[in-house]
Amino acid sequence: MTGADPDEELVRRIGAGDPAAVQAMVARKLPRILALAARMLGDAAEAEDVAQETFVRIWRHASGWRQGHARFDTWIHRVALNLCYDRLRRRREWTTDELPEVADDAPLPDAVPGDDERRVNQALQRLAPRQREAIVLVYYQELSNIEAAGVMQISVDALESLLARGRRALQAMLVGDDGND
Amino acid sequence: MDAGRFAALADAYGSALHRWPPADQAAAMLFAETDEGRAVLRRAGRLDTMLDRHRVEAPGPALHRTILARAAAEVRQERRRRFWWLGFGLAGVGLAGAVAGLALVTVVSPDIQPDHYVMDANATSFGDAGPDVDQTEEDL
Repeated sequence: MTGADPDEELVRRIGAGDPAAVQAMVARKLPRILALAARMLGDAAEAEDVAQETFVRIWRHASGWRQGHARFDTWIHRVALNLCYDRLRRRREWTTDELPEVADDAPLPDAVPGDDERRVNQALQRLAPRQREAIVLVYYQELSNIEAAGVMQISVDALESLLARGRRALQAMLVGDDGND
Repeated sequence: MDAGRFAALADAYGSALHRWPPADQAAAMLFAETDEGRAVLRRAGRLDTMLDRHRVEAPGPALHRTILARAAAEVRQERRRRFWWLGFGLAGVGLAGAVAGLALVTVVSPDIQPDHYVMDANATSFGDAGPDVDQTEEDL
């Protein structure tokens, strides 16, 4: 991690009880947290619940926040992802504690015009969760490879492996080839 | 940068070079100008076009309001909790200090003699000064 944390001052003000800082934090982070949760869970209502729970943790920890090894943004990504994984584990289809490591990359049904967004959502949900997490962090959240690897607590090489496998699976489901043409 | 590394990065990060590792971007831009580079990016770009169609609606005002309403109470409660914990901490430190002081006094202080030491009537500071048996026998 290099440089000062751009959120540190805002977090300090929240801890001191500044209502303007609370509003600024919600404006700055809510769209990102909501998007992260929506793509991880594939469900808008659950994503809103995760966003709310993430902010409750922000409010609770603001007065004690000290920048350690992680930036604040990295920390809230990790908090939100943990909440997403809690929900994924609770879903009925998970019969064990282990989340699947392998994507189901069978091609999706032919697209209905204007239906691409739903197809992409389906394809993302069919990825193994760790592959989905890597793609969401790097592609949609636009974290750097080092930041994303930090959030996922893995090496950059491991991150690139998850990204490549995830994208190959998506390519097969959405574009109809495995990316090797 | 060789073709293999370029393709591996495109496999992982897609066709937009700004998502690639910063250390590789300059070399990647040069390779992207080659026919091989263009073909790799075109292939990765097809998937990116699909992924870009997945949009998440901006949070609505109701969600904003709910989160803000919870904020004031949570921050106030957390500060109160931290205040109490600080109080308990200080009280704990004070108590620990008192216990340590008491222990120190107990260890360092000398044993206290009983106030009323009953001396034998024949005892002196030099020991028992009773009838000297040996001397008595000699006198006999």
